[in-house]
Amino acid sequence: MNFRDLTDLCFRNLMRRRTRTLLAIIGVVVGTCAIVVMLSIGFGLTKSFEKQMEGYGDLHMIELYSYNGGGYAGEEQQGVLNDTTLESIGEIKGVTAVTPVISQYMQLWAEDDGMTGVEIMGVDPEIFEKFGYEVAEGRMLKKGDKDVLLFGSEIPNWFYDPNGDYMSIDVDVMGTDFILTADWNYGIEDAETSDDDIDYGLYEMQAIGVLEPKNDSPDYRVYMNIDRLSEIQKENLEAEGGRDTSVQNGVKTYNQALVYVDDIENTERISKELKDAGYQSYSPIDWIERMKSTMAMIQGVLGGIGGISLLVAALGITNTMVMSIYERTKEIGVMKVIGANLRDIRRMFLIEAGMIGFLGGFVGVVFSLIISLLMNTVLKDLLGIFLSELGGYGSTVSFIPLWLIFAAIGFATLIGVVAGYSPAKRAMNLSALESLRNE
Amino acid sequence: MAEALIRVKNVRKVYRMGDERVIALDNISLEIHKGEIVCFLGTSGSGKSTFLNMVAGLEKPTRGEVWIGNIPIHKLNEEQVTLFRQKNIGFIFQAYHLMPMLTAIENVSLPLIFRSVDKKKRNKMAEEALAAVGLKGYENRKPTQMSGGQQQRVGIARALVGTPKIIFADEPTGNLDTHTTKEVMELIISQVRAHKQTLIMVTHDRSIANYADKVVTIQDGNIINVEVKGNED
Repeated sequence: MNFRDLTDLCFRNLMRRRTRTLLAIIGVVVGTCAIVVMLSIGFGLTKSFEKQMEGYGDLHMIELYSYNGGGYAGEEQQGVLNDTTLESIGEIKGVTAVTPVISQYMQLWAEDDGMTGVEIMGVDPEIFEKFGYEVAEGRMLKKGDKDVLLFGSEIPNWFYDPNGDYMSIDVDVMGTDFILTADWNYGIEDAETSDDDIDYGLYEMQAIGVLEPKNDSPDYRVYMNIDRLSEIQKENLEAEGGRDTSVQNGVKTYNQALVYVDDIENTERISKELKDAGYQSYSPIDWIERMKSTMAMIQGVLGGIGGISLLVAALGITNTMVMSIYERTKEIGVMKVIGANLRDIRRMFLIEAGMIGFLGGFVGVVFSLIISLLMNTVLKDLLGIFLSELGGYGSTVSFIPLWLIFAAIGFATLIGVVAGYSPAKRAMNLSALESLRNE
Repeated sequence: MAEALIRVKNVRKVYRMGDERVIALDNISLEIHKGEIVCFLGTSGSGKSTFLNMVAGLEKPTRGEVWIGNIPIHKLNEEQVTLFRQKNIGFIFQAYHLMPMLTAIENVSLPLIFRSVDKKKRNKMAEEALAAVGLKGYENRKPTQMSGGQQQRVGIARALVGTPKIIFADEPTGNLDTHTTKEVMELIISQVRAHKQTLIMVTHDRSIANYADKVVTIQDGNIINVEVKGNED
């Protein structure tokens, strides 16, 4: 018996019991819808998360912080950042560059236009170049640079007039003269002053460039040569009458360092290695890994809920097929007597069950696409409230990838065939005689 | 005379019904020649249907042998017997047993479908078979749109299509009135004769037996009488 005749016959059999077939199909439709829609929400979350991730900084970068635990003199402290330990970090496989970073939060005046409070990062200009930064205008830091600043992309928009209306002022930083100081009262007209005020230095600065946006914390920082910044830090400390704590046992230590990894595939491993070595490390990749496992869990739960509905649908198919066999016992017998192969009988029932699965899967996918569309448009605001709890705030609530469409139809068909297997076997094993005697 | 087409040797069939053993066929031996029309006559429970099933390979004898030509039917497995039936045997049932969702022509084609005959060819064969039983123009009717006599004609066409060597008919007129019975029987006989097919009928109706070359009376699982009519060749 050839396949076309077989499917034709099966189709007619299904059409004969329209109501029951329809009910079984509806079962599969609901099951498929549940599974596809649930998964699509999971994919939607992943997708909006990926979009966030794309805009979430540089996955090549690991930020390191030294452990500031009160160590005893002479004791080898873990997680201390100094030139020796940084060198050994630089030797870890996959690390392209490592630079110590010192930072100080200071006040930056753009001539008389306005000011902003900003984190000044001191970096090694030669190594900093290897960190994959690019300038939108101007140039990168160079060795020997002194009183020059490299701006993160957001900083130029962050100036305001503290003596005026506090409205933000966009400053064209290139060609503007800046004053950098740790004195928070500098330039404030009605600042309260007292004799105890520390006499901080004022440093004249020039902008040499603005970085391309990274959509991460680097956008909100200003970079300068580490040598110059450490001088400024030292002078500030002296002005405050404080002691330089950065030198321990005669070795210069750093609070912070940046590590640049050659390939983002290695970032997670290196980040973990550094954590194990006692450093505090932070990389967007840590967060991403955590999100990924959360996503996998959410998808598992959502898919599981859908899976249960499809399981129920499978029981529906089995039931339909068993009923159909009872009903058609005589027919099966006749077919056997007039020459149907055992295999044909079995295939006939398998195909019928498969057809229910296929049709259900197909219609289910169509419905899912409609539901998905609705969720992304009409129901978006409503669902957004719920989904933001799960960590998705993107524009896509539900996303159905192309492969899911085919996989869902294929899976529904498979479920049909599996559900039909036992009834089909039973039909095959029916005695032709018994069935005919059943009059 | 040439060797018989069907040879049944010492066939015995015992059914188990719970603890009870029912002897359906006691000890039957018989030969049927090609082109013969044989009628098995007996009351209900005489074992005549069991005999028919045995020869058609639908049931295996408890003991004894059934040969059709040089094929040992009693030794074939279900798959092999099905293949044999596909090619060599046509069936006419008392209750017609047409597929309700198929049209007349599709019902007639069904044995050919099982044999994977291609559509064009089998439609032609089925049309001819329907025409032969006088149902030209009824090709696209469903069984529910036909009378009992017409349905049985479709059943006959289905048994005859592909001209199998042997036709089995189990109470072929059991559900028909006297007038239609006559029509149907004459149709079966003329067709079988025209194609030199062998016909084995089972009935409890004596009037049907008149159409046969040989009437075998069965009672309690044994042959009690074989009557050979003059019209045998």
